[in-house]
Amino acid sequence: MSADTYRRGRSLGDRAILVAVVALTLVWIAPIVWVLGLSLKPNEVLMRTTGGLLSPPFTLKNYADIIASSSVFGWMMNSTIVAAGQTILTLVLASLAGYGFARTDFPGRGVLFVVVLAALAVPEQAIIVPLHTMFAFFEWHNTYGALIAPRLAFPFGVLLMTQYFRAISPEIEEAALLDSASRFKVFWRIVLPLSIPAQATLGIYTFLHAWNDYFWPLVSATKPEMYTLTIGLASMQTNFAQTEGIGFLMAQAVFAGLPVLILYLFFQRHIISAVSGGSAR
Amino acid sequence: MPEQADQNGQLAHNSAPPGLSLRHVGKRFGSFEAISNLSLEVPEGEFAVFLGPSGCGKSTLLRMVAGLEAPNGGEIHLGGRRIDSLPPGDRGVAMVFQHYALYPHMTVRQNMEFGLRNIGTQATEIARRVADAAEMLEIGTLLERKPAQLSGGQRQRVAIGRAIVKEPRIFLFDEPLSNLDAALRARTRVELARLHQRMRATMVFVTHDQVEAMTMATRIVVMNRGRIEQVGTPIEVYRRPATRFVASFIGTPAMNFLPVARLEEQAGMAVAVLANGARVATAIPAAAVPAGEVTLGIRAEDLHPGSGMAATIEVIERLGERTLVHVRLTDGATLIYDEPGDAELEIGQPVALSPDGQAAHLFDADGRACAAEAR
Repeated sequence: MSADTYRRGRSLGDRAILVAVVALTLVWIAPIVWVLGLSLKPNEVLMRTTGGLLSPPFTLKNYADIIASSSVFGWMMNSTIVAAGQTILTLVLASLAGYGFARTDFPGRGVLFVVVLAALAVPEQAIIVPLHTMFAFFEWHNTYGALIAPRLAFPFGVLLMTQYFRAISPEIEEAALLDSASRFKVFWRIVLPLSIPAQATLGIYTFLHAWNDYFWPLVSATKPEMYTLTIGLASMQTNFAQTEGIGFLMAQAVFAGLPVLILYLFFQRHIISAVSGGSAR
Repeated sequence: MPEQADQNGQLAHNSAPPGLSLRHVGKRFGSFEAISNLSLEVPEGEFAVFLGPSGCGKSTLLRMVAGLEAPNGGEIHLGGRRIDSLPPGDRGVAMVFQHYALYPHMTVRQNMEFGLRNIGTQATEIARRVADAAEMLEIGTLLERKPAQLSGGQRQRVAIGRAIVKEPRIFLFDEPLSNLDAALRARTRVELARLHQRMRATMVFVTHDQVEAMTMATRIVVMNRGRIEQVGTPIEVYRRPATRFVASFIGTPAMNFLPVARLEEQAGMAVAVLANGARVATAIPAAAVPAGEVTLGIRAEDLHPGSGMAATIEVIERLGERTLVHVRLTDGATLIYDEPGDAELEIGQPVALSPDGQAAHLFDADGRACAAEAR
C-alpha cells in the first residue's frame, strides 16, 4: 500500500469515526437540550404540549421559583456534604490502604488484597438488606454518617491507589529514607504528592458517583430534610400531580446538574483519564 | 600478593584509618543465599568498586551498608561505629541510585535541602552547603528547575549534589552511570574520579562494567555468587588474578584459557606442555602448582605472532588503535590475540603464535591461581 493510499484510507476512517461520534453526541445531548428547553417554558404552555421547544414564549420564572421556594438548595447541600465527605474520606482510606498493600510487608497481605479485590464482584443489591438492618439497629439512618459510611469501603479505590503506588519507583522512597525521613514523612512528603494524578482521578470518580448515587440514599434517607438531590428530585417526579409544573421540574433537574457540569469543565482531563482506565495522561 | 578472601572471608588489609568494615555479613532471600559470610575492609578515603556480573550480590551488599536491606548475620561498622542496626538516615551514608531517585515534585534546590531539613540543619548552613555543592558540580543555574526539566547528565549531577550536601562518612554509588550514553558515561567517570581526589571521601561504587572499575577504583572488589573473589588495585586484579573467574571477567577481550596436558619443571619453574605439544615456560614455581587438572591462562596482548603454535585466522575485529584476531589452533582450541594498529591480515590466513610464558597464569582444578613469582 502506497503512502498516499494509506493516508487516504486513514483519512476516510477518521471521517467515519467523526461522523459516528457526532451522531452519538447528538443522541446523547438531545434529552439534555430538551430538558433545558422545557425548563425555559411557562408551565401553562407545557400543560398543553411539550413540543415547540424553540418557539417563544420563554421564561426564567421556573428558575426564579427554585431560588425563592424550592427544597432543591437543601437537597443540594445534603448532596454536597455527602459527596465531599465520601470523597475526602475515600481518598484518605484508599491512599493509606493502597500504600500499605503496595509498600509494606505484613503477614496475610496477599490474602487480604485478594479479599479486597473479591469485594469488587459483590453487587450492592446483595448486601443492601444486612446493611439496612445494621444501620437501623444502630439508629443511624437519616444522618450524614449513614449516607457516607457504607460507600467508604471502596475496593476500586484501594486497587487504583495500590497500583499507582506500586508504579512509583521504590528508589525514590529509599532516597527519602536515606535523607532521614520517617516512614510517615516519606508517605506524606514524597509519595502522596507524586500520587496527585491518581488522587484526582479517584476523587472525581468518587464525587460524581456519590453525587449521582440513588440506591442507598433511597434506603437510608427517609426524612425529606435528609434527602439528597437524586432522592429529592425523584420524590417530586413521583408526585407530578402535586408539582408546580413540568417546567419547574425540569429547571430543578438542570439546577441539580450544574455542579457536576462545572466540576467536569474544571477537571475534564482527569475525568477522561478516570473513565478510560487511566490511559489518558 | 593480591588480597584475597580466606576461608572465613577475612581479608588482609592495610592499616589505614577505619572506614567501612563488613564482618561475616550474610544475606538470604528465602532459600537463595545472596551474600555468604562476607568480610571486607574499605579504609577511609578509598574509592572501592564492587565489580561482578549481574546477580553476584554487589548491589545487595551496598544496600545492606545503606540500611535498605537487613543482613541475616554479621556486623557492619563505619568509622569505628557499628551501624547495621541503625535506620538508613542515621548511618552517615549517602547514596546515588541507578535511576537517580530525585524527588520529581521538588526543585533541584529542594531535592538537595530535603535531607538537611529532616535533621534540623540551620537554614544558613543548608544554604551554604547547597551553594558549595552547586558550584562544585556546576549546577548553580539549575537550582530552581525540576528534575523533569534536566538532562540525564544534569540529573546525575544533582543526585551527586544531594549526596555531597549531607557530608556523609561514605558515598555509595549503585551503578549510577548505567543510564548515561557512552560519551557522557566516559566524562562522568573522569568527573567522579576528580571529585574523589578533591574530597578524599570514602566511596563505594557498584558496577558490572570493568572499564568503570579499572578507571575509577583505588581498589576493586571482584564478586561472584555472593562471595569475594579478589580485592586489589586495578592493575593487581588485571595482572595477577586470584581466580580463573577474575581472569575471565577482567580485561577485554577475556583471558585465553588452554588445558595443560602435562607439567614439567625447568630451573624450579613450571613449564606447561599443551595438548598441541607447545611448551610454555612460566614464571610460576613448580612447587606452587598442585597435582591434578591445570589450565593455562594467557591474555591477548601476551600472545605474539611469529613462531610457535600454528593457527588459522577466523575473525578479525578492527578497533582502530588495535586489532583483535580470533584464531583456531590445530587441536581445535580457539584463542584471541592482539595486533597493534590496523594489521594487514585476512580471514583464513595461517599464523604462528608464541605465548609470553612470563605473563602466563596457571589455574588449578578449583579455578584458583597458582602463585607466580613477583612480576
